[in-house]
Amino acid sequence: MTSRIPASVLILTILIAGGCAKPPSEKLEAAEQAVKQAHESGANLYAPEEYAKLEGNLAAMKQEAADQEDKLALFKDYGKAEQLAATTATDAARIATEASQKKEEAKTAALQAQQIAQEAVSSTLELVAKAPVGKDRAAIEAIRNDAEALKASLTQVQAALDQEDYPAAQTQAKAIDEKSRAVSAEIQSALAKVQKRKSPTSTHKN
Amino acid sequence: MSSIRIDSGWITAGLCITLLTGCIPAVPQDLLSELDMIDQDLIALGAPYAAPEEYADFARQWAALKVQADVSAELIRWPWESNDFEEQLRQLHAQGDDTVALVTQKQDDQRRTAKATLDRLEERFRAMNAHIDSLGGHLVLGEQPTHTDLLIRQTRTYFEQDHYTRAIHAAAEANQALQRQEAALTQALKRYADPQEIARWQAHVQYTVDWSRIHRSPAILVSKADRELRLYKNGRNVLSYPIRLGYNGIKNKEFQGDGATPEGRYQVRAMRGKGETQFYRALLLDYPNAEDRRRFQRAIQTGQIAPTKTIGGLIEIHGTENDVMAQTLGCIMLDNPHMSELFSHVTTGTPVTIVGATSEQNTIALALEDLSHYHEPLTH
Repeated sequence: MTSRIPASVLILTILIAGGCAKPPSEKLEAAEQAVKQAHESGANLYAPEEYAKLEGNLAAMKQEAADQEDKLALFKDYGKAEQLAATTATDAARIATEASQKKEEAKTAALQAQQIAQEAVSSTLELVAKAPVGKDRAAIEAIRNDAEALKASLTQVQAALDQEDYPAAQTQAKAIDEKSRAVSAEIQSALAKVQKRKSPTSTHKN
Repeated sequence: MSSIRIDSGWITAGLCITLLTGCIPAVPQDLLSELDMIDQDLIALGAPYAAPEEYADFARQWAALKVQADVSAELIRWPWESNDFEEQLRQLHAQGDDTVALVTQKQDDQRRTAKATLDRLEERFRAMNAHIDSLGGHLVLGEQPTHTDLLIRQTRTYFEQDHYTRAIHAAAEANQALQRQEAALTQALKRYADPQEIARWQAHVQYTVDWSRIHRSPAILVSKADRELRLYKNGRNVLSYPIRLGYNGIKNKEFQGDGATPEGRYQVRAMRGKGETQFYRALLLDYPNAEDRRRFQRAIQTGQIAPTKTIGGLIEIHGTENDVMAQTLGCIMLDNPHMSELFSHVTTGTPVTIVGATSEQNTIALALEDLSHYHEPLTH
């Protein structure tokens, strides 16, 4: 009772069955997820070029999968897409780790710069309090404004830190530190001048 | 006969070996290495940001070809056989070279733009500071100059770190801050460029000169914009001296302690000679006069001035107490030799007219005109 199946039908069946490759959805999604995690680790900020390359690979993977999707069932081959997905996921994990490390380093540097800036501003404010008063008001009032502006600017550094934009925080803190030192030098110069002579007390109300 | 069979076997084997060794790998490793180098160069040059579209196209093709290279790593081919894969690699190589050149060019352009922007910004900042110093406008601007200074310092740091995009962004912010400073200065000093205000001041000047001529007496005129005191006798300008004003002297006095110098028509109420003033010699003016009191009351009523403020007084034309403290609060200060000379020419009751400026072409109006150019873009 054995039925005889024609060889051509058998071969065709095997080919069709073998050719009905399904897209490796899980691997593609895993790769996409890995890239997303790399972004969340700050790779776009702390390893921007590497991250951009990663996005390029992800795009290539999606393109390859889409190209295969468009083909007839018999000719679909997701091998390349699968391999791209594997490479992308591996690279993403590596870049995420590197970015995290760089982010931590940037955070440490930014916090250090913030502390230096805070100390510089405190020192400037202390000097402003000692600054000579009396008739030399123009310079002192201007310096007081400068010191207040520096103090206010420290909040911007904190805002950048809160947003985890550590390069911006570090740059802002560096600028504040430099300016504080310049203002302090100005006050010290004024103090040195005043100390040379005893300043009489003004009786004017103006 | 057997020797013939052996020979033919060797010939076949030899032929096979010859043919096999004549084959070459289907994946040219040298090309792959070169493409990998190009990719690294592009990353190092920041291509993903400098030329995102071009780099994305390159990266997509390179990723696909690398996968294909891995799959075909073991394949060999005849030297004369066409190789589409190698052709694709060569095309991508050429494309990669073009992208490297493009990115290098773009980076150079960006660096030049950032440099030109920074230079122009720093030049504007220096010019603005010079104007602020000459106008005595630092206090009018409050904390603004420091904020601008900080932004410019950040711009320079970003530029020095080759972060051109951030540098250009910070420069734009700094330029906006400069424009806000310009607007604040203009708002505070626009009366120096107001034809009606100038005409009013000129009328005061004319009145004073006429008074001096009619009464054949000395009269003093002070022009704040020109930082000058003129002594008129019989309607003629006989002496002129440079002066210094209070720390907010360019503004009209509103209340005690504002550092501003009052504007209006006054008289010398008292003369303080040697030993009667700490400022060498002094001419006490009758500030506040009736007009000042009216204006002060109006300002209090309209809420322009806090009711806790007082009108102030003891405005003088005086000398210098010493070099270090050569600054006044709201008075008009002369060098001691000039003060001595002026003191000898005037008496109690001598009119003193203080105006903002005597002509439309005054230094403050000209400085404001110059500052108005700050609205032009930083880059051309």
